[in-house]
Amino acid sequence: MSSSNQTTVIVRTVVRSVVPIIILVAIGLLLQGHNFPGGGFIGGVLTVTAFALVYITYGAEYLSQYLLGLTDGSVARRETQDVLDPDTAFFSGTVGRYSAVFGIGLALAVGGGLGAVAFGEPFLSQAVLYFDHIPVFGVIELASALVFDLGVYFVVVGSLLTILAVVGNE
Amino acid sequence: MSAIVAAPLLVALAGAIGCLLLRSRPRLLRGVSLLAGVGYLLATVALARAVYADGDAILVYYLSGWQAPYGITLVADRLSVIFIGLTAIVSLAALWVSIKTIDASGQRISYHALYQFMVVGITGSFLTADIFNLFVWFEVMLMASYVLVVFHSGPEQTRAGMQYVVLNLLGSAVMLLAIGGLYATTGTLNMADIARRLAEPAAYGIAPGPVLGLTGLLLCVFALKAGLVPFQFWVPGAYQAAPPPVTAMLAGVVKKVGIYAIIRLYFSVFAVASIPDAGGLAVVAGKPFLVVFGGVILVMALLSILLGGIGAAGRNNLDALLAYSSISQVGFIVLPLAVAATTLPGDSLFRAGVLATIVYAIIHGFAKGVLFLVSGAIEDHVGTLEFSQLGGISEQAPVLSGAFFVGGLTLIGIPPLFGFFGKLLVFKVGVDAQNTIGWIAVGATLIGAILTITYVTRAWERAFWGPPNEFVEELTASPSVVAVIAGLAIIIIALGIGFQPVYELANGATSAVIDTDAYVRAVLGPESAHAIGGGLR
Repeated sequence: MSSSNQTTVIVRTVVRSVVPIIILVAIGLLLQGHNFPGGGFIGGVLTVTAFALVYITYGAEYLSQYLLGLTDGSVARRETQDVLDPDTAFFSGTVGRYSAVFGIGLALAVGGGLGAVAFGEPFLSQAVLYFDHIPVFGVIELASALVFDLGVYFVVVGSLLTILAVVGNE
Repeated sequence: MSAIVAAPLLVALAGAIGCLLLRSRPRLLRGVSLLAGVGYLLATVALARAVYADGDAILVYYLSGWQAPYGITLVADRLSVIFIGLTAIVSLAALWVSIKTIDASGQRISYHALYQFMVVGITGSFLTADIFNLFVWFEVMLMASYVLVVFHSGPEQTRAGMQYVVLNLLGSAVMLLAIGGLYATTGTLNMADIARRLAEPAAYGIAPGPVLGLTGLLLCVFALKAGLVPFQFWVPGAYQAAPPPVTAMLAGVVKKVGIYAIIRLYFSVFAVASIPDAGGLAVVAGKPFLVVFGGVILVMALLSILLGGIGAAGRNNLDALLAYSSISQVGFIVLPLAVAATTLPGDSLFRAGVLATIVYAIIHGFAKGVLFLVSGAIEDHVGTLEFSQLGGISEQAPVLSGAFFVGGLTLIGIPPLFGFFGKLLVFKVGVDAQNTIGWIAVGATLIGAILTITYVTRAWERAFWGPPNEFVEELTASPSVVAVIAGLAIIIIALGIGFQPVYELANGATSAVIDTDAYVRAVLGPESAHAIGGGLR
């Protein structure tokens, strides 16, 4: 990448400080989603926004290899196979990893619903546990709906990252 | 309240997720997909046993434990079960053919997950008792089918897929609009609650006029999904573009979702409503909604039978012929509904009409499943379906040809095949009606039947008879694919010879349609439906 293509110092500095805040807000929205504004979908979209910022300012390699740690030697192998077999790139490359995330998210959401069936309740039934007298927090509310929200979160993150990676590669 | 209601849905959903997660393990992926198909069949059998355990159970399942009409309710009654049964058998057969014929990398990338999601959407549509939820399941089914239609992603497929996607997106937008409007006018989305409120519109402050208009809008959407004229444009292109097992599913099962929705909503839920006296149309004032819908359905059915039949007779391509035939046959399916709509739900003619529709829908599901799978097997090996390039297949592949023969004859309606009883019931409804609409229906059925004979004979004569040419000599379909197709054909023969149980099942489904009262009581609780009982019948 030549220096003329590189993003400015201003953008890089702003992104560096903004991304953690976005992620924090996203997680906050995810955790409170079951009874306040927020939830898995909006949390996921915000998270991907943070990733997209990194992607635009630092590039796809930085995002997938340094930030998400998707480098374990398989990437290097992939580079050579890419030319021969596009399918391999789709399954074992970055796109494959991203798209596995939404499968896992879906499994989590449905699994959370099936958990209720295991307790003899209807599919997707939810319950809440309250923990009183916790220092600093006071009352902590643990809702089973969080599992579903988490599933939605991963579906959104996984699918948007897949789209980002596929379209970015075009 | 029993969890078995959600079983087929959850099995297919689990299968879809399994297929998504196992994409890097092709053998396991195919195994899981097949397991999901078999599991779906078993879950369907269990569900059917539960529904028929007390003779006429309506099983209700409140998702997340939210009571109707506030939460989303799943309902399995005899009508849903018969359609889910059709789905289970046809989808399992098509799945096996997919595993054998779709190219390996295509199967790995997305085919199985999409296929299972399509089954999820179909099942959800058959089970849900909430019209907004029906929209959601339609979307699940359509999203998957969009990708499946353009699966081969050549220029032809992209063009047909574009047409399919645009028309169906338009349909979905209209459906959402109509459902939103129904929510605004009736104040509820639960089907049973809608029926309860429409039976006594004054008590709930509902103006029936707007409801009539909105339900009319909704009918257009279901007609689009069922591929009735004038909403048939997407059918030939999409059916030719999609991989053959997907076409078998689209024609055999996905179309039936539109038919099911028409039966469920218009002949059960909205059937309790009457047109208000106010307004200029004194002719229909005070009559039930069905009078209007019946007229609309009649026109659509007549046009479908004629246009589809004439279109099919003029095609020079086996797939195109079958696609047009499918338009025509859907006309046959809904025609008895138009006759039934001239009477009230308590009438015996009403029962006969709905019964004929259900029976014909099941027949069509099996017949089109077989025919499209055969044409797919031919295309896979010969490389074309143009009649000019075909000929003598019966000599080269006798079993496949036999299956096509059975499928074709059942479309025509030759005894003792399954299709004979369908045609018989459709004719009988028209004759029994003893009114103008009945005789129009009989006339259309006669013309349609002649057209059916014409195009089936043509397909048979051009593609299957004569000496095999050098292309056809390549035709050596995998034995297991041939066995599955032959199995479906045998089911058609068996259901024809042993028609009595099918008749009983369809009759039970018809009772479930007619008894809106029982449906409302089952969903909303025992004391909720007195209004309907005292109202219309």
